[in-house]
Parts: sequence; structure tokens; C-alpha cells
Amino acid sequence: MAKEHGKRPYIRVFVGLAVLTAIEVAVAGLALDDALRIFILLGLAAVKAALVALFYMHLRYDHRLLAVIGGFPFLLVVIMLIILMADRVIKS
Amino acid sequence: MTHTTAAEHHHTTPVWEGIKTVKFAIWLFLASEIMFFAGLIVAYISIRYSDPNWLLASELLSVPLVALNTFILIFSSVTMVLAFDSAEQGDLQKSRYLLLATAILGIVFLSIQGFEWSDLMHEGIQASTNLFGSTFYTLTGFHGAHVAIGVIWVLSVTAKAFRGGYAEDHLGIELAGLYWHFVDLVWIILFTIIYLI
Amino acid sequence: MSTATPTAATHKDYRYAPVSFWRRYVFSTDHKIIGVQFLFSSLLFFIVGGLIALLMRTQLAWPWQEIPVLGQYIYGSTGNILSPEGYPALVTMHGTIMIFFFIIPVLSGAFGNFLIPLMVGAQDMAFPRLNMLSYWFMVPAFLVMIFGFFVEGGTAAAGWTSYVPLSALPDMVPGSGMGQTMWIISLLLVGTASTMGAINYITTIVMLRAKGMHMFRLPMTIWALFITAILVLLATPVLTSALLLLLFDRTIGTTFFLPEGGGNPLMWQHLFWFYSHPAVYIMILPAMGMASDIISCFARKPLFGYKPMVFSIMAIAGLGFIVWGHHMFQSGMNPVLGITFMTSTMMIALPSAIKTFNWLGTLWQGQIHLTAPMLNALAFVSTFVIGGLSGVFAAATPVDIFLHDTYWIVGHIHYVLFGGSLFGVFGAIQYWFPKMFGRMMNETWGKVHFILTFVSFNLVFFPMFILGAYGMPRRIADPYNYTFLSNLQGTNQFMTISAYVLALSQVILFVNFFVSLYRGRKAADNPWQANTLEWTTTSPPPLENFHALPVVYRGPYEYSSPEVEEDWLPQNRELVPAPAD
Repeated sequence: MAKEHGKRPYIRVFVGLAVLTAIEVAVAGLALDDALRIFILLGLAAVKAALVALFYMHLRYDHRLLAVIGGFPFLLVVIMLIILMADRVIKS
Repeated sequence: MTHTTAAEHHHTTPVWEGIKTVKFAIWLFLASEIMFFAGLIVAYISIRYSDPNWLLASELLSVPLVALNTFILIFSSVTMVLAFDSAEQGDLQKSRYLLLATAILGIVFLSIQGFEWSDLMHEGIQASTNLFGSTFYTLTGFHGAHVAIGVIWVLSVTAKAFRGGYAEDHLGIELAGLYWHFVDLVWIILFTIIYLI
Repeated sequence: MSTATPTAATHKDYRYAPVSFWRRYVFSTDHKIIGVQFLFSSLLFFIVGGLIALLMRTQLAWPWQEIPVLGQYIYGSTGNILSPEGYPALVTMHGTIMIFFFIIPVLSGAFGNFLIPLMVGAQDMAFPRLNMLSYWFMVPAFLVMIFGFFVEGGTAAAGWTSYVPLSALPDMVPGSGMGQTMWIISLLLVGTASTMGAINYITTIVMLRAKGMHMFRLPMTIWALFITAILVLLATPVLTSALLLLLFDRTIGTTFFLPEGGGNPLMWQHLFWFYSHPAVYIMILPAMGMASDIISCFARKPLFGYKPMVFSIMAIAGLGFIVWGHHMFQSGMNPVLGITFMTSTMMIALPSAIKTFNWLGTLWQGQIHLTAPMLNALAFVSTFVIGGLSGVFAAATPVDIFLHDTYWIVGHIHYVLFGGSLFGVFGAIQYWFPKMFGRMMNETWGKVHFILTFVSFNLVFFPMFILGAYGMPRRIADPYNYTFLSNLQGTNQFMTISAYVLALSQVILFVNFFVSLYRGRKAADNPWQANTLEWTTTSPPPLENFHALPVVYRGPYEYSSPEVEEDWLPQNRELVPAPAD
């Protein structure tokens, strides 16, 4: 069953995740404009989540169908968020 | 893989285009879990957005401590993935200890979170105190429950590995790993939206 | 134990393997038994939900009257008369039971379980034990829901939608006490059970298809159940999270949905409808699929536009995720968002119209056999058109502002759910009964049942549109308190009497069902001369379905094919020379 798949960059991904976490904590402390700070933080979180999904959950190496199954819900989440936020923006 | 009759084949793990049914099903389960957390997170964001006087988590809780906890969970993810990798490479001994390390790191994460909860409760914030309390305990609580289930799962895998399991087939480690990484992924998002923003 | 070799002798060995009654019929992992378990339990709840509906109709025709003879058993504690707080409880339970304990389990649970492995050519579900677990999560859900009737304050009374704050504050009205908590717990169990089922169905359909069974050779029933399972998988967890938040509001004092704590009551509606609008398609898509199979079989013609049918199902399901706001036009919504929801909702009419067009195209110039299943499938198409068109009306924001929460909406949902789904279910029961139990249902009584049901159904539910246009609100026990509604009592009495006829007609179905179970004519393997794989095995099928795993050579709708003399050509029949793909 074991397939030889060469060296996978697990350690490098780990270092990346750790560094990104440190950057996140640093950015959170900066006196930036709220919207910009939130944008950067969400972006960093998305990169981290993508790293985990692609490398640790093997989506990069597995059948593409699994990535579709894992990715599709995020589309729904985005739709849900956009609609709810649009509703709140006008009312508040 | 040896040839099996259809009936036997059916009761082991059928494969379709290289995907094992159980792995496929775990991914479906994870998709439903994403939607579960989506419901909670969307509720949190919407509630928080409509409250201009929202209490920031960073004013109540120690962000460095949570950052350490995040690091621990990420570290447990790398031990988990290396456990699977070692098993794939045939180094079962290494795999066993890495699995054990993963479970221990999970327990450390839960302990730090438990400490954080009790700290917050001492500050007088319960789930019923205000919406910060409601959302904080609900989100971290459901995530913590997932970590706890993950710890139990990983421990059972560890036990089987120490008893000589997974010599041929590492699917069990992979499945537990997928769930474990998913829980880590959810934490990455929760850490950002609860503590940092 | 091999089924790979097509010898019937080895096969019998395990078919009659000596397992105890409990293992075979109660804690069974066989998808066929589990399907039948779902069928029987959901039919039981159909009776419960139907009787509750009769109580409501009785109240609306003759409000606050003592019910002769039976009153002391039903309303014994309130002087044999319905109490004012009892009516909302009836409304809530009718909706909850019919939706969560009848329509969804009978479509996905009963037919999904029974048909998926048979129609894709598999021996069982991908995870038989998970399948059993799914049913055994339904059983406590049933029990908790029934138990809710007997707790202090009675059962939940906040409507099947359980809008907050009525459902979030335990001391709001009698029914929002323990009964509401039971309702939440029961739905959490149902949700878990459906999610398990969905994972199993999707995996089975994707991975366990017989050799040669490409996705585009799947019968429409399987396509519909497949898309339905995806909807269940992705929508149900959102309901679960909303229910848990509601449970916390009720028990540990959080205020997610309660404005006095800063919470947002509209959030419940958003989360609930994010689940429940897809759930509407969970309740209709499988019936669409089954009706397609029945219509094609009894028109002896290939299904018109197979791929458009598949893509229409996908489009309906996909749009279903972005239309939930149309339930909330009256709840207060950003008008820009309202228009978005209105447009996306109206777009659903397109794929629905494609499906209707294709059903008619299938019938056109077909050799139509008006059997009982076919009659029900035709009723499905025609009432679905009325239900669907009334949906387009309600989708328009300005119209909906007027029609919201009136009987018009009640008429709409019943035309879709009773007229659509339920006629589909009636058709499917009579169509697959021979395969399930090895006997035929009585055709004549099937037709009598159909005619009585179809006529009385329209007499009950069509006037609802008129009542709604008059402005009669739903969920009120005594509309005649309002002078502008007091002249509607005659119409309501007419509808109630029709409802009694409708209920009595169902007795015919049940008698036919149970008598045929024991006394029906023995069914041949393929009594309808249909093409799909379930008809190529014995009736009822053996333990692992097929004597030899089938190999599929063509799509499921090759009726009246010029290649063979008969007017049907089973999917697994090899023609020599084998036709090009």
C-alpha cells in the first residue's frame, strides 16, 4: 500500500504555519486601520488553513474530488456571510 | 492487492479511482462539519458586527497564551502528519511515538483552554453574562469538544499501533489524521476571529 | 459465500442463513430491511400527522365545539374541547411530524435505502452498520417527539419553524416549556440520522456502482436521491448549530436570539431557513426522480431530455441554497437583498419548468398505461405545476407582503408537498411494492384510492388559495373572531368535510397495502417490464441483492427500442454485437 511519494514538505509547512501565526499576533497589535487589519488577518488565516488542507490533509496529492468535497462548503459559507452582512450593514 | 470475491471485497474497503470508500466518507463528514461550524461562526460574526461596544477578547484574555496554544495545536498537526508519513515509510516505531505525542499535545491544548475558561469565569464572565460570553464559550466549547473526541480517537489509534496494528494498512492513521487536521484548521480560523480581530 | 460466480446454488446458502428474527428484521444491516423499517415507521407518523390535521380542520369548521364521543379522549383535560393554546400545538406537531417524520424519512429513508443499492447494482450500502445506526437514531427521535406530548405544558407550540422568541423563552406559553426542549432534542437526533444517511448514500452512489453504470446511466431516482443527499449533508448541520444555540438560550441563559441580551432574533430565521429551504427540495426532489422513472416506464418511451433533467435537479438544488430569504420578506430585510432573493427564487421556476416540459415530452405520443402508479405520477406532475406556479407568485416581494402567513402559503406548500411529494410517494409505493414484498398491490383499489384522493385533495387545498387571498391568516384557531373573515366559515366547513373524505380514502391505501402484503398476487421479477437493475433480480431480492453482480450496457430508459422485439431493454442485457457506447 505504501506509495513512494518522495519527501513531502511537512516540516517546511510547519515552519510556515508557525511564522504566519507569529505575524498574525504581531499584526493584531499594530495600530492599523480596522478594515485593513481585519483584511490582513483573515488573509493570513486563509493561507494557514489552505496550507493545512493542501499538505497535511493531502488534498494536493489526492484525487481532486476530495478537494471539491472539502471546498464546496466554503463557497456556501461565503454566500451566507455576504448575505447576512449585507442585511446587517443597512440596518445598523 | 489480492483478488477477492465481490462479497468479501464489499466488506473490506472498496476503492474507486484510488479513493477508499471510508476516506471518501470521512471527507463528506468533514464537509458537514464545516457547515456546522459555519452556522456557529456566521452567527458569531453577525452578532458581533451589530454590537459597536463589543468586548475585545484581547482585553480579557492573554493573547500570548492563546498564541502558544495555537502553536501547540499546529505542532500536534505536524506530529500527526509525520506519524502517518512514518507509517507509510515503514517506520512503525517512530509512528507510534509520534501518535502518542499528538494525543499528549491535544491534552495540553485542552488543559490550557480549561485554564483559560476558569480564568474567564473568575473574571465574572459566564455564558449567560453577555454575548461575548455566549459566543466565546459556545465556539471554543464546540471546538474543544471536537479536540476531545480527536484525542480519544488518536489515543485509540495509538493503542492499536502499540499493539502492532497498521503494519500493512495505514488507513486508520490517515482517517484520524484527517479529522485531527480539520480540528486544527477550525482553530486557525477561530483563533483569528475570536482573539485577534 | 461468493456472489462473483453466477451460480444460484451457492447463493441460496446465505439467503437463508439462520439468523434470529431480531438480527434479520430489527437490528438488520440489510438496506432493504432498513428501507422497510423506515417505510413502516414513517407511514405510522403519516397517520399521526393526518389525524392531527383533522383535529385542526374540525376546529376551523366548527370552532370550540365539543367533539362527540372522541372528545373525552383527545381533549379530556380541557372539558372535551380544544383549548386556545392547544391549537398552536396541533399546528406545530402537524408540520413537524409530516415534514421531519413522514416526508423526509419516507423519501430518503425508505426509498433511498431500498432503491439506491438495487438501482446502482450494489450488494448493499457502502456502510451497512452506519445505515442501521441511522435508523436507530430515528427511533429515539420518534420517541422523544411523542414523549413531548405528555410533558407539563404539552408539546411544542411555536410552529414547525419555531421562531424565536416564542421558542427561546421557556415560560412564554405552556408549549414553550419542556415540550419545546423535547422538540429541539428530537430534531437534533433526526438531523444526525439524516446526515449519516446522506454520507452513506453519496458514497454508495459514487463508489459502488456496478460495472458499466456511468453516472449518466443512473436512473433519475438515483440522481434525485444523490442530489438530495448532498443537500442534506450540507444544510442539516446548519440547523443543528442553530438548534444548539436555541437550546443554550433556553437552558444556560445565553442570548443569541434574544434581543434583550443584544441577540438577534432574525438570526434564527436566517439559520433555520438556510437549512429549511434546501429541505423543501429534500422533500420534493426524490419524488421528482421516482415520478420520472414511473412516467417513462408507463409511457413506454425513453425519458425525454435525460441530461437536462439531471442538470435541472442540480440547478434546483444549487439555487436552493441562495433563496432562503424569501421566507423572510415580512421579517424586515434590506430591500436590495429582498430583490436578490426574489430574483434567485424566481429563477428556480426555470429548471422546474424544464422538468415539467420533459415529463410532458416523455408522455407525448407514448403508449400510456394508466396503472395506479402512473396515475399517481401524473397527479404529481399536474399538482406540482399548480404548487410551483403559486410559488412564483409568493416569490414576488410585493405579492408576498400581502400573502405572507395567509392560507395562500398553506395552499402552496400543500400543493407541493401533498400534491407533489405525496402523490409521488403513493406512486412509488405501488410501483416498488412488488419488489419490496414480492406481491402485487390491488390495481382496482389503487385506482379507487387515487381518484378519491385526487378529487378530495383538490377540494381541500384549492380553496386555501381563495381563503388566503381573502386574508385569512394561518395558525389561528378561530378566524371568525374577525368580522372580515366571518363569512369564510362555509368554505372552511366544505374543506373540512373534504378533508374527512381525503383521510378516509387513505384507509383504502392502507387496507390495500396490508392485505396485499399477505394476500396479493405473487409478483414476477419484472412485473412492469421496466429496465432498471432492481427488476433484474428476484422479487423480493435476496440478501445481497443480485445473484451475480450486474454489468450495465446502457441507460435506464431504453423503452420501445428498435434493437429488440420487446418494448423494454434492461440495462444489463448484453446485445450481440454489443452496441457502441
